[in-house]
Amino acid sequence: MAGLGYLIRRLATGIPLILGVTFISFLLMVYFGPDLSFELVGKNPTAEQIAAARAQLGYDQPFWVRYAAYLHEMVTFDFGRSVSTGQPVRGLLADAVPVSLALTLPGFVLGNLLGIALALLAAWHRGRWLDRSIMAFSVIGMSISFLIIIIVFQLLFSSRYGLNFFPVRGWDMSSPGAYLYYVTVPTLAIVFVSLGYNTRFYRAVFVEEVGRDHVRTARAFGAGAGIILWKYVLKNSLIPIITRVMFSIPSIVIAGSLLIESYFGIPGAGKLTFDAVTTGDQPVLKAVVSLTALMFVVVLIINDLLYRAVDPRVALT
Amino acid sequence: MKLRLFLALSASFLLAMAAACSRPGVDSEVKRYRHSDDGVPTNIDPLQAATVYSNQIVVSVYDTLYRYKYLARPYVLVPNLAAGMPEISDDGLTYTITLKPGVRFIDDEAFPDGKGREVTAHDVVYSLKRHFDPARVSQGRWLWDRKIEGLNQWMDAGADYDAAVPGLLAVDDHTVRVRLVKPFPQFMNTLAQGFAAIVPHEAVTAYGEGLGTRAVGSGPWKLERYTREQVRLVRNPDFRKEPLDLAYEGYDAALHGHLGIAHLDGKPSPFVDELWIDFIQESAARWASFTSGREIQMSGLPVEQTDIVLASKDPVALKPEYAQRYHLDTGPEAGLVFTVFNMADPDIGNVPDPQRNAMNRALRCAMRDAFDWQQRNDRFYSGLGEVFPGVIPPLLAEFDATLSRDSVTHNPERARARLAEAGWTAENLPTLDYGLVASVLGREMAEEFRGYMAAVGIPPEKINIKSYATFGDYNRALRTSELPIMGYGWGLDYPDAENVLQLFYGPNAAPGSNAANYRNPAYDALYEQSSVMLPSAARSEIYRQMNQMLIDDCVGILSLSRRRIALWHRDVLGLPDRQILGGFWLRFVDVK
Repeated sequence: MAGLGYLIRRLATGIPLILGVTFISFLLMVYFGPDLSFELVGKNPTAEQIAAARAQLGYDQPFWVRYAAYLHEMVTFDFGRSVSTGQPVRGLLADAVPVSLALTLPGFVLGNLLGIALALLAAWHRGRWLDRSIMAFSVIGMSISFLIIIIVFQLLFSSRYGLNFFPVRGWDMSSPGAYLYYVTVPTLAIVFVSLGYNTRFYRAVFVEEVGRDHVRTARAFGAGAGIILWKYVLKNSLIPIITRVMFSIPSIVIAGSLLIESYFGIPGAGKLTFDAVTTGDQPVLKAVVSLTALMFVVVLIINDLLYRAVDPRVALT
Repeated sequence: MKLRLFLALSASFLLAMAAACSRPGVDSEVKRYRHSDDGVPTNIDPLQAATVYSNQIVVSVYDTLYRYKYLARPYVLVPNLAAGMPEISDDGLTYTITLKPGVRFIDDEAFPDGKGREVTAHDVVYSLKRHFDPARVSQGRWLWDRKIEGLNQWMDAGADYDAAVPGLLAVDDHTVRVRLVKPFPQFMNTLAQGFAAIVPHEAVTAYGEGLGTRAVGSGPWKLERYTREQVRLVRNPDFRKEPLDLAYEGYDAALHGHLGIAHLDGKPSPFVDELWIDFIQESAARWASFTSGREIQMSGLPVEQTDIVLASKDPVALKPEYAQRYHLDTGPEAGLVFTVFNMADPDIGNVPDPQRNAMNRALRCAMRDAFDWQQRNDRFYSGLGEVFPGVIPPLLAEFDATLSRDSVTHNPERARARLAEAGWTAENLPTLDYGLVASVLGREMAEEFRGYMAAVGIPPEKINIKSYATFGDYNRALRTSELPIMGYGWGLDYPDAENVLQLFYGPNAAPGSNAANYRNPAYDALYEQSSVMLPSAARSEIYRQMNQMLIDDCVGILSLSRRRIALWHRDVLGLPDRQILGGFWLRFVDVK
């Protein structure tokens, strides 16, 4: 019962957050976004044709009327059709979000698992050559632009100048084989670029944990490295790990990875969002902003519940 | 521990090998042609076929009444869905067009029984009327605006599709009669554009705005899949079986022998089963995809690859290692880039005061003299562009190669003299905004422009670079006359100089395409005179006079045509050409 009350309270506190995010985003869309009316009327429009196009796009309506309409769309989750392609926005998202998820999830999971493993190693061997080597690798990974990594990986794995094993572009999930074929190089790129950040972050967490009294005591009792790292260090570091992982989820589901999707020609949500920003496709943007805000609220709640699950001392108030 | 590590590494290696070997199966029975484009067709409804990317899809899946010959250059119109060339009345106002009988739309759920019905003259009338339906946004309406008798009135009266338009009638199922308000020699060219593609009303009723991403036409291809990354077309099995007549299409063994298409003569197109078109805006990825063999033709050579791939630029030739693998086609683009001044801006344009008017003209001419076209060409177009005076580009038959090149010759001394003579000093010069779409390239071009001006005594702070986040915002600035100096580009809609000369016709001033707001009664009179004339020496002479007026009035810094370089693998048999809002060549392509 207390849990239900907590859930309702958190959902209620999420409403101002959603309103704030949507209001600021809509303000930016309306006053700083591209004006499509001149795009849609062809090469020699009259002033009347431009006015008609503005009316069709709703630009002639006062801001508050448009924002109220946006809120109504959000409640019904019916954002109409994309201004660019005429496709229903719901359908566009339904097509794009699973693709982004399938694209980024393997890299996200591998990047975090490898990051945690390397960070544990580095923390355990703190100050020694292994720690320094892992940290040097992390800094290199963090220093190279994602764009460069993508282009180099494409040249290395997908061009006649390299192995030419994988496709440069495209996406197919019709079979596990096809999925593996298309997801491998993007996944490698995601892992490479995220590994440095993840390793550094997790190492900092683990180093602090390794220095605690109970770890020293366990060592004194002759516990092995595996037991200590797994049972005492990792388990006690779950709060920051959960925070990092959970807060990455909305961007994985909704934002995808713009660069990966652009350069590998993958029809995911990141590319959809970027195209909507550059073309001023407000129905798509409104849907993406709403969905992202909503996901953050849900993630915050799940995050709190997970804190409580891994650490009973945390109270849900 | 070591065993676990070994197992983990082995598993990873095996997984990677499995991924590399899991290339989706290729059906050897399917003949597939694949190419990449550098832009995306955001909407393939014929109402929105405004870009080369949309247009090539639209003319592949829909029929147009006319099309351009495959190989003949300059471009020549020929019947497509029309049975022949139109009967044109002596006054040039009435066009009677007969349709080929028995042409059918593809089978689609939009039709009552799912079976495509015959394409009739009523569909042609309906498709043109759609552009004038106030409930729909059309980018092609301007082509026929106030040109077809009764069509604008039909729009103003509420666009009742059952109401007849006197100038746009289906005489019977296979005959369309169009009556123009005044002669419009380019009318037939407009009927070869994607805007004029023929759409069944059933599809519009069934899918509405959904036609932006699906197609129900009668063209040689059927749309199988549309995404913003790729379009897949499959052969329309019911497309009319018309044998390819290479001689009729302009085949010249000397020019086209190397294309390997001679064996296609007499066979009905299309020659491949599938067309896959990838849209890859990032040039590095596009090049990698092309060279890996995934695409077998690409839309254009990226500028950054020019020096790597070309052995020479004049004439354009590939290095041997590339020539072994690829075909090359090159020529001036069907369009131009230039800079115009806002003639309605009192700081630089026409003003009632004769003295200030003369000063402003001197300023414009000085800026033109200060501009170094050759350097612009070398720095930004790999030296491959063609600089020419005026606005009639080299691709057009009306291009005058004998025109003086004085207006495109870098002449900083004369620029300084003009400024001094007119009384301009660094202090009294107006501050002028130079607009650009925010990008590194745009910024570099603007800074180069500022550098040219500084070299003749126009201080950099007098050229204020105004950046717009997107092309849409920049377009709005052009249409609302916000800017005194504007970079401009124009792709030809049809191969007739009228299409560029209308850019300076007074009544087309902003928000129309005359962003320069040039209003010259003598120019307008010549334009109106020539706009009803068929191609002739007399019309070319009028065009020449209009072109000269633009040069003499220093309306802008005119002009450069970029060079188009198309590459395709030697396995592809055909001549790619997407110019003039084209795409008809896709029905004739073959692969080995």
